[in-house]
Amino acid sequence: MDVFQKHVLRNKYLQYLLVGALFLIPVIFPGFSTSFLTLMGGVVYLAIAGTGYNVLLGYSGQISLGHAAFMGLSAYVSAYLTGEMGLPFGLSFLFAVLAPFLVGLLLGAIAVRLQGFYLAIATLGFGEILRLIFIEMDWFTGGFSGSQAKYPMIFGARLTKEQTYIGMVVLMVLLMMLVYHLVNSHTGRALIAMKNSQHAAQAMGISIFKYKLVAFAISSLFAGISGVCYVHFIRYSDPTVWTAMLSLNLIAQVVVGGNGTIGGPIIGALVIRGLPDLLKSTPIIGEIAGIPVLLSGVLMIVVLMFYSKGLIFIPAGIRLALRKHILRREREKGKGA
Amino acid sequence: MAETIEKNVTENAASEKVLKVSNLSISFGGLKAVDDLSFSIDRGQIYGLIGPNGAGKTTVFNCITQFYKPDEGSILFTAKDGRTHELTRLPAHKVIRLGLVRTFQNTEIIRELSVLDNLLLGAHSQFTSGVVSDMFRMPWARRQEKAMRAQALEVLEYIGLQRLAEESAAAQPYGVLKLIEFGRTLLCNPSLIILDEPAAGLNESETQTLMALIRGVSRDYHCSALVVEHDMRLVMGICDRICAISFGRMLAEGVTSYIQQHPAVQDAYLGKEEA
Repeated sequence: MDVFQKHVLRNKYLQYLLVGALFLIPVIFPGFSTSFLTLMGGVVYLAIAGTGYNVLLGYSGQISLGHAAFMGLSAYVSAYLTGEMGLPFGLSFLFAVLAPFLVGLLLGAIAVRLQGFYLAIATLGFGEILRLIFIEMDWFTGGFSGSQAKYPMIFGARLTKEQTYIGMVVLMVLLMMLVYHLVNSHTGRALIAMKNSQHAAQAMGISIFKYKLVAFAISSLFAGISGVCYVHFIRYSDPTVWTAMLSLNLIAQVVVGGNGTIGGPIIGALVIRGLPDLLKSTPIIGEIAGIPVLLSGVLMIVVLMFYSKGLIFIPAGIRLALRKHILRREREKGKGA
Repeated sequence: MAETIEKNVTENAASEKVLKVSNLSISFGGLKAVDDLSFSIDRGQIYGLIGPNGAGKTTVFNCITQFYKPDEGSILFTAKDGRTHELTRLPAHKVIRLGLVRTFQNTEIIRELSVLDNLLLGAHSQFTSGVVSDMFRMPWARRQEKAMRAQALEVLEYIGLQRLAEESAAAQPYGVLKLIEFGRTLLCNPSLIILDEPAAGLNESETQTLMALIRGVSRDYHCSALVVEHDMRLVMGICDRICAISFGRMLAEGVTSYIQQHPAVQDAYLGKEEA
């Protein structure tokens, strides 16, 4: 049992594969509606963006309110390249992800000089400018009416909605593994050191400039992948999606799920995206407009009040409470005897 | 990287000095914190920098490690390969690559990381794997991580903390944090370790352990140490040479017994006797 626990349950790769398998339930078993699959697709693309955003916020301690615009950028690029230009999906994926990566590097170079609130405001402005460009460049983005895309075409075959979803889940699991590698390497230690003490980091030879850029570049890259997933799954992109509200959602997702943990952004995406819909489908509560959103807001505040480290720590918290309870019991028994 | 260091190399290969500070001055808004200070440290030597509170000791440290850029003066550092570098031309994060490493007065430990990971942070400048090879955990990145981990465990054993390797740094008492920070300096293949009040806040036995460690380092790691300390017993106990400063100016410099007897040093510490 001990060996099993150590090598199987604690094996991170298996854990991530298990998460992926759970996400695949709606396509493996019959009886799930298409709208449920759409909802889960929404969770997965947020989970991908959140996994990258966590490298920025959770591990490096940097903030950005511009990442929603990066997701939008790659969505539009991919829609344009596969639609108007007729490029194969693989090639357009590459360009679509490269675009926010490069813009993210640019934003990172600006961010090096800024901290805290100033960084938040600067990135907010950066994101809004990008969004206004989306609205204005209507030959490229379709302006307010948005732009259309299709399910990905791979080796000449058009994927179905289910297959696209499976692809997204596979990507999500892969990206979780990559981030796990990253944060447990010397690069990850450098990011965490930079977040905790810039002085210590510099004294240990960590270039603040380089690692801020690394954090922005990786999170932008993941935002780009997420944007491509979105546009080819929902098959539509318009400027109202890529607002700062979505960036705020990313922050909420990472913090509620568990800042600086691999699973946190996934749990966060499930809660932030799934909870309002779940409440909407419950009787009575769901029938009054606005109540589901309000309730999920309240729930989030409650979670943060009692579990400020994030939902992912709840099992550990319960285990600790149980152990304390057992210890106290034993002590009382000892006293009695 | 290599070119920037190359550029800063001056011909001074035969020098036995590991650090040579000449005419160092820095002022903050009209206040001269360090004023025309010169001293040098031999290879393998343990050198003390003493002075009353506010004498500018930590400022000297910050100038050497390039956290502050001095207004005037030169700081020459000779690395293990015999090349001499002008430190004032380097950014703070590049200094460690030459083998010059520091600790902080109030310890700068990364509380989120384990004790072992904090030590591995000291080895950061030794890693050559890039971000992408780290992300894909390429064989060479994994090999390097493994080798560094073994080295960090060795250092942990050296400072007597091997049983705490996987513990969280946040849970450790102050004395242990001081030791972790000291151990962290040993992982960058150092030529000179700069210790800013290593014994501050330590109890008697912890101070004894630390003294033995600092003395041992020059023997076991072939490196020098520059120590700022208020604990006179520690300074007098381990230092080969001492430089005493007051208000940013040098009072006296020499071997430990000479400094102990020096009237100006005694005045600065005990106050001048009214004649």
